[in-house]
Amino acid sequence: MSYLFDPENWKWVTHGNNLRFIFEHFLNNLMLAVLAMVFSLIFGLGLALLRLSKNKPISKIAGAWIDVWRNLPLIFILLYLFLNLPDSIKRTYVDAIPNFFPEVMHESFFLAAIMGLTLYNSAVIAEIMRAGIQSLERGQGEAAAALGLPYWKSMRLIILPQGLRRMVPATVSQLITLTKDTSLVSIISIQEVVNGGQIIVNTAGSPFVDPGGPKAPVLHVFIVVGAMFVVFNLALSRLSRRLEIRERTRTGVTTERITGLEDQVALQADVA
Amino acid sequence: MTELWGVLTRHLPQFASGLWVTVRVVAFSFVIAMVVGTFIAALRVQPVKWLQRIGGVYVETFRNIPLLVLLIISFAGVRRMGIDINRWVAGCGSLGLYTAAYVAEALRSGVFAVGKGQIDASLSLGFTYGETLRKIVLPQAFRTVIPPLGNLIIAMVKNSAVIGVSLIALNDLLKEARLINASTPKTNEIFFWAAVGFLLLTVPATFAVRYLERRFVIKR
Repeated sequence: MSYLFDPENWKWVTHGNNLRFIFEHFLNNLMLAVLAMVFSLIFGLGLALLRLSKNKPISKIAGAWIDVWRNLPLIFILLYLFLNLPDSIKRTYVDAIPNFFPEVMHESFFLAAIMGLTLYNSAVIAEIMRAGIQSLERGQGEAAAALGLPYWKSMRLIILPQGLRRMVPATVSQLITLTKDTSLVSIISIQEVVNGGQIIVNTAGSPFVDPGGPKAPVLHVFIVVGAMFVVFNLALSRLSRRLEIRERTRTGVTTERITGLEDQVALQADVA
Repeated sequence: MTELWGVLTRHLPQFASGLWVTVRVVAFSFVIAMVVGTFIAALRVQPVKWLQRIGGVYVETFRNIPLLVLLIISFAGVRRMGIDINRWVAGCGSLGLYTAAYVAEALRSGVFAVGKGQIDASLSLGFTYGETLRKIVLPQAFRTVIPPLGNLIIAMVKNSAVIGVSLIALNDLLKEARLINASTPKTNEIFFWAAVGFLLLTVPATFAVRYLERRFVIKR
């Protein structure tokens, strides 16, 4: 306890640029989370539509794809892509990325990170969307058909606007998981907050880089790193709870639980 | 195709031991999560305000912090403090405490799902408090809580892979796959079998949870 609260061990926070360094790395996490979420929403919508397709084989294949990717550990997918993404693809990516994009994005492994996060999360989002769409009363689709709307028009005008509204709270809560999961890309050597924290631990107070500066103990550095995540995600979880309650009072339905996701469990419990 | 089977037959003992470590990590962590989670849930439903707040702070902290950060704190951080913490204690402890936050949420909602009116009704019918708990509250709370707990076990299997790649480096399935990959550069085949190992644990569990959800959940 005295080790934890010893002011000597906290001096690194105000020394030099230490805290700012960590925070700038944390912004990389947020950028990664937002990018992956945007891609996941696009691919997830596609997957969900395939899953709900009237064509049995297509629906089965999409269902198998979704079930495989969301039941694998994310770190497994990331490591596989890290070890085995072909060099030609990586080189194409590095050449294609414009200069004005942030520095982290120029690493070839950034592609592996984004692909891994998207593969996993698009499967999860597809399942969330499917639950949202299936929670609609059958009558909605039948009425659209009775009015003579073709499939795509009824999807675009009737089903999706209502179904997707219902998935907003679950998506925000998946964004919490995603933000936490971005810390995993430190393992495939991308500059983000866990890496930044490790750099601070190794360099603060070292005679070569920062002579005479205070040492930064690993415990204290990672408490600060964790606190950044907690503050950000706390705001998100409040938001998703607010949205869920509003949606429930508006439509009076509870959307189906998505299996195997911890933050969805918490969202359901929060509101209950 | 022959290589696919060759990799499996040559490295079956390593894959099996990795899978067994993963199963044990999940089992130990689940025990910790249930014990701590029940305690936190109890804190959150009892009437004293400041104890409720402690439970709330625990839940909000542990469910919003990344597991990897928790693992670094509990292993590297605690070791630097001078406490020689065991790898299994740090790994299962972190995963257990992390999941305990979700367990606490699930249990709390299970207790609240049983309406207060039912308890009043049962007491007024002459049941004792113990009978009310045993015959009215717990059977219903149990039914509400089973599917979310199943979900948390699936999430734990997936999260347990993080322990193997962090500093703690328990030899779980993913770690074993990397070790084999370091000696035989057959990444596709090795990761295929590791994926099969993980899916063997998670996919049946997913179907079990879906079944339990249909079977048990009380529609209100």
